[in-house]
Amino acid sequence: MAEIVFAAGIPHAPAVVGQFEQAPPDVQAVVTRTFRETARRLTAARPHVAIVFANDHLSNSRVRSYPDFLIGAAERHAGPHEWFKPWIGCRDYVAKGDAAVAKALFRGMTRRGIRMTARNENLNFDDNISVPVVMLDLDRSDIRLVPVLQNCTVPPYPDQHRCYAVGHALADFVAHDLPQDMRVALLGSGGLSHEPGGARYYRIDEDFDREFLAACTSGDHRSLLRDFTPERMDAAGMGGTAEILAWYPLLGAIGECRGESFGYSGWPNFRCGIGGVIWDLGSKRQ
Amino acid sequence: MAWEAWHRFDPNLASNDLVQDLKWDPQLRALFKQSEAAVLDRYDLLPAERKAIEERDFKTLYELGIHPYLGGQLSRFIWGNEAGKGAVTAANNLVASLTGSRKDAPAS
Repeated sequence: MAEIVFAAGIPHAPAVVGQFEQAPPDVQAVVTRTFRETARRLTAARPHVAIVFANDHLSNSRVRSYPDFLIGAAERHAGPHEWFKPWIGCRDYVAKGDAAVAKALFRGMTRRGIRMTARNENLNFDDNISVPVVMLDLDRSDIRLVPVLQNCTVPPYPDQHRCYAVGHALADFVAHDLPQDMRVALLGSGGLSHEPGGARYYRIDEDFDREFLAACTSGDHRSLLRDFTPERMDAAGMGGTAEILAWYPLLGAIGECRGESFGYSGWPNFRCGIGGVIWDLGSKRQ
Repeated sequence: MAWEAWHRFDPNLASNDLVQDLKWDPQLRALFKQSEAAVLDRYDLLPAERKAIEERDFKTLYELGIHPYLGGQLSRFIWGNEAGKGAVTAANNLVASLTGSRKDAPAS
């Protein structure tokens, strides 16, 4: 059976690329450690495919007909989207896709009662996919990318329980539907606290972020499901913080594993709390 | 947090379509810079909605139901989206409109 060999949650704030040089050394160190360690351990896990869950920032669908999970089934994924280039200021990239796995995911999740949507064309990627690609050099690796753009901001959106249930179905899909010996990496892209476009544009909720990272690293799923509601995410930054829901399919898929974080930054100029977690898949809590 | 944009969000509002079209269509974006009125004429905007855009009154636009994320992006179409600088002018003006007071971005 196929196997999940890597799982990590990472931030995708565009400023970690575009404003990195202006950041203080301690903040730069958090960004560098988080992404360098994620890239190193991802490579060491030797995945064939990386399924990346990430918030869709209203870049692919009208708000009146908004999919909760949009699978990118293209053979290649180019970005960033034209409009977003000056915003993020990163290199252009083309990452390998895997149409067969993407279509299998669409079919498999549908059969497991999870409504997803799939498109064969190149989706519009902003920071959601572009930051993981360029910071982890996915476009320079042989890892094939399957993006799943998630609705974390257009109400009503799937809450933490639904996203966790998606993860259960995802684990079953990987185990039973993918080719034998396929090695699968899972990435959750988004967070931490921020309020893009809101009155609290410059506020970061450091207490919330640190509590969330602690729950993730300790593998405390009871807390993650009980204490981190959409209402509380909104209180920590409306329209942005709920991007951490893109980590929940991973949590549901891997179970109560402990994880490691590589520091935290609440530097206001990033307008987003920065921190990530790599889970130790061999450390399931009893 | 008393900010109630979710409760006011209206997916029918034409402003949502306007901002998404500006993201997806570079020619429309160029025309918006050249003649904002010509672009606004293409959309079935409520009178109050159009007035709010013309007067840069984001508080009213949010109360009418624009998605906040798209509201933030509209501010960039109006005031700039500079590479690597975080669109500070747009962000400052947006926050000022929403709060009624000037609160600039923290200095680097």
